[in-house]
Amino acid sequence: MWKEIRERESGKLRPNSFSNRIRSNRNSSIQLSNYKEIVSPHRGAVNSLQVDLTEGRYLLSGASDASVAIYDVQRATDYEGGGLLAKHKSLVTIDKQHEHGHKYAISSAIWYPIDTGLFITGSYDHHINIWDTNTTQMVMNFKMPGKVYRTAMSSLATSHMLIASGTEDVQVRLCDIASGAFSHTLSGHRDGVMTVEWSTSSEWVLVTGGCDGAIRFWDIRRAGCFRVLNQSHSQLGRRPPLLQRAATNKVSTSKSLSKGQSSSVKPRAPQRKMAHGNGSKQSAASKIPNLVKSSARQRLHPGLLSSQDRATAHYGAVIGLKVTGDGMYLLSAGSDSRLRLWDIESSCNTLVNFETVRLQTGKAIQLATTQDSALVFVPCMTSVKVFDVWSGTTVLTFRGHYEHVNCCWYSLQDQELYTGGNDRQILVWSPSKWNADELDEWSKKGKASALDEDNWSD
Amino acid sequence: MMMEEEREKVVVVGLIEKATNSTAAEVDPRILKAIKSVVRYSDSELRLAAQTLMNLMKRDHSQVRYLALLIIDELFMRSKLFRTLLVENLDQLLTLSVGFRRNLPLPAPPSVASVLRSKAIEFLEKWNVSYGLYYRQLRLGFDHLKNTLCFQFPNLQANAARIQQERREREVRTKEILVKKFDTLMETFSSIKDEVQSTIDEIGECLEIVTASDEPMPVGLLLDDDEMEEFRGSELRQIRLDSLKEGDKVQETSDNKVVFDALRELYKLLVTKHLVSVQEWISVLTRVEVADNRLRDSMLKEFIDIRNRLKSVKKKCEESGCSLPDTRNNEEENIWEEGTIESFENRSSVLNYQSDGSSIASASVKVKNKPFESRNKEADINEKLDCEDSGTDSDPLRSKLLAEAPLMKWGSFLDNWGSNRDFLANQRGLELEGHWGRIDYDAVIPAKKIAELNVQATLYKEDPVEIQPCRAPLSKGGLCQRRDLRVCPFHGPVIPRDDEGKPSKQASLTEEMASELETNLMNHLAKQAVNNVRDRDKEEEKKREHDKQALKRAKLAKVREHNDAVLRDAALASTSRSSAIREDVETAGGERYSARNKKQTLASMLKKKVTSKDRLVQRLLNTRARDATERQLTQGEDAKYREAFPNQW
Repeated sequence: MWKEIRERESGKLRPNSFSNRIRSNRNSSIQLSNYKEIVSPHRGAVNSLQVDLTEGRYLLSGASDASVAIYDVQRATDYEGGGLLAKHKSLVTIDKQHEHGHKYAISSAIWYPIDTGLFITGSYDHHINIWDTNTTQMVMNFKMPGKVYRTAMSSLATSHMLIASGTEDVQVRLCDIASGAFSHTLSGHRDGVMTVEWSTSSEWVLVTGGCDGAIRFWDIRRAGCFRVLNQSHSQLGRRPPLLQRAATNKVSTSKSLSKGQSSSVKPRAPQRKMAHGNGSKQSAASKIPNLVKSSARQRLHPGLLSSQDRATAHYGAVIGLKVTGDGMYLLSAGSDSRLRLWDIESSCNTLVNFETVRLQTGKAIQLATTQDSALVFVPCMTSVKVFDVWSGTTVLTFRGHYEHVNCCWYSLQDQELYTGGNDRQILVWSPSKWNADELDEWSKKGKASALDEDNWSD
Repeated sequence: MMMEEEREKVVVVGLIEKATNSTAAEVDPRILKAIKSVVRYSDSELRLAAQTLMNLMKRDHSQVRYLALLIIDELFMRSKLFRTLLVENLDQLLTLSVGFRRNLPLPAPPSVASVLRSKAIEFLEKWNVSYGLYYRQLRLGFDHLKNTLCFQFPNLQANAARIQQERREREVRTKEILVKKFDTLMETFSSIKDEVQSTIDEIGECLEIVTASDEPMPVGLLLDDDEMEEFRGSELRQIRLDSLKEGDKVQETSDNKVVFDALRELYKLLVTKHLVSVQEWISVLTRVEVADNRLRDSMLKEFIDIRNRLKSVKKKCEESGCSLPDTRNNEEENIWEEGTIESFENRSSVLNYQSDGSSIASASVKVKNKPFESRNKEADINEKLDCEDSGTDSDPLRSKLLAEAPLMKWGSFLDNWGSNRDFLANQRGLELEGHWGRIDYDAVIPAKKIAELNVQATLYKEDPVEIQPCRAPLSKGGLCQRRDLRVCPFHGPVIPRDDEGKPSKQASLTEEMASELETNLMNHLAKQAVNNVRDRDKEEEKKREHDKQALKRAKLAKVREHNDAVLRDAALASTSRSSAIREDVETAGGERYSARNKKQTLASMLKKKVTSKDRLVQRLLNTRARDATERQLTQGEDAKYREAFPNQW
């Protein structure tokens, strides 16, 4: 480690690679944290976890007992065991007793992506509430036609403030905070929508996964979905990584999407361009052209279109979606206990075999990836498994929950993983903080009564 | 080297296998020790042991799991590496040992399984208490079992804390009570002092009176002193002195009796009440903690003074009030000799009392709440009974009371005769500071309870009845000396006889009666003959009727028998084979039973123990038996029907 720092100092090592190395080092040593503990006030399954995107400091959790809580993950509220255990109690808790509190289980709780002044909760009581964090008062709410499974806001958005919501209903609705009304109603799914995810590369692209097993891409600037992922269309392996991708994320994202959607940034004639791009570049790899609901194309290939429209990404429901940080790949989890990695551009299944054992089927799960999208954290029943995204091999298995795990969130800043499960616990998994020397020193200071040692009496 | 390691590894695994392959409730301590010593010096073996133990925990047998868990606990409390290894899979371990997942219940022998569960919970708590700080998993597991699944933990720590708390509270309470007592003492101090002082004064006066009535004695003593010089020999002098002392003792006479009574009473009061209470107060004072120590100390001093004075007075009483120790002696003797005295000397007097009519025994309950003096009086009674049997002296009231008074055996309960106050159970002045556990200094025995405790149980003694000899004349001469209560086996009922063995008065009386009867006899006989004849006629008639009925019944029975026989034949045809099968089953079961008795193995534990209930169930609830009962029941109904209408069937 010191050697690396020396190299960095002398300029031999690039800052990026240096930080990446340290990150991956830390990632590989993640384990259940003994010194950091989140005291969960929930009396029901924890369904949703998110650390705010601006400071990386406040963890928001929503639970089945209709309660939401916010914790400060950077500063502990109190210590135990002579400072060994840092306990993080909730700063704010809103539960059923609150006058505007939800009646039924909260399925998703997310931060407003711009700051921590607002957060959004979606509940099984058909409502989406928007809360002021400082006053813990509800500032706005939307009545949905059915149970809300998932809400999402785009972290990139600069021109809209839309909450995408997946509900029991077949339609995906976009709630506009600015106006307090539904701005869009996206129909195409044949069953409830379990997961909703915004693209990380374009603020107008929305990905939804439904109980019908379909994953649909929507461009919110025009009607209809433009892509349906089909599990039978596959390509072997990932494409050779673009050189630019590693260097600058921004360029790569724009480039990666350029074939399909970057055109959509320019409002002029995206449709033709897309068709053209597909035809010329991807004819070999995949025969599906992007599905755009233009009336002209529908009239041209009605049979083809309907068959494409019925394509499924999973047998059974799609219960989890995660777009990688660069926006090029999509990870999806289905109730068929499969995890699939999709190349978004070609909309092909990359056929990476993830060694999942079993996924829970009834509920939506929340996946998490590391910053460089090398690892994905997947709740597999009572454990959380860490897979290598590109090879699908299991890197680590975190066992700590006593019931099913519902959600996990990876904090980019601390390289910490937070998991919440049906056992009402929120566990912190962090890179091992202390090496042996430090611990020894600490115990020498007399704080620990040197309990955790070998104790052979005979 | 490699070979050796290999061998060692096998040793560990083998040891663990061996330790867990038993039906005992504990791991063999020698094997356990061996495991520990092997594992202690090698990490690789510890790893192997952990793995082996986890594999054993997966066995489908609670006994194996139980023993494995015991070993795990031993190692867990000792080795850090083992802890880190085990904690990784704690949820699995808990699933396998506590069995809290519904789809993974604990395996077969249910009795062992319940023990396993309770043990696992106990261990988890222990581990959590000692190492929970270092292992999040332990905390999580404990928390989950406790708060989510609501398992009952033994809660050792909390219990200890609670007991401590209780003790502290009680101490505070006793302190408060002591302070309260101290306050009351401050108020009543002077009155107590006065009371004691007055008693002491009274005793002093009594003693004066007694000694004054013996005035000549001191003179004699002086004389004796003069004479003493004449006796040179020291032995002789000693004897002389002793005799003088004997003579010195004031004899109780009818003159000074009243004084002596009073003296005794006062003495009793002194010993039983004042001395005890002073002792109590002293113990209270020594234990109480008050802000003002000077007052307490001065009071304590005074109390000690009073005690000393009381003791000296008591001594004086015993020395000079010469009869007092005598009474004590007398009482002590009574403890020992009561029975004998009663039986021999006092027999007659007791009988006298009884013959007086008022049954004393029955009065005893009523007399219990007689005043205090009755006790003293009673001592007097005993004395009197001992020395002067006549007891016809002095006032008639006294004799009347005496006649009424119950005769009680002497005992310590008499000290508190008739007193109606509560007693402090732990205030004896003895400092038994928690020797047998906590002492509640304010524990009170209520008067009711004391009365209950003092209820006298006496053995019922049968009055010795002299059984009279038979005294019938024997053929060889002399009288029969057999003593039987009513009837002599040889000579019939025991009746009073004269010296020659002839039945006296009563027998003759019967004879007279007999002769008188003889005259009536003829008439009587005639009447009876007539009656007899009539009776016989009646009976014959009845018999005839009876015969008729019997005949009818027999006929019915015959018909029924025939029917039954036909049915039985039919039934036998269908059941002969099945009965043979049943025999087979029985023999097989018997064999199995004997085999199991031979040796207990793990497999045998899994087998369900065949209880008598099971056997009964097997016999009763199988289809054949059920069919048989059904058939029998229906048959019973049929039989009833057939009995009613035998011809129609």
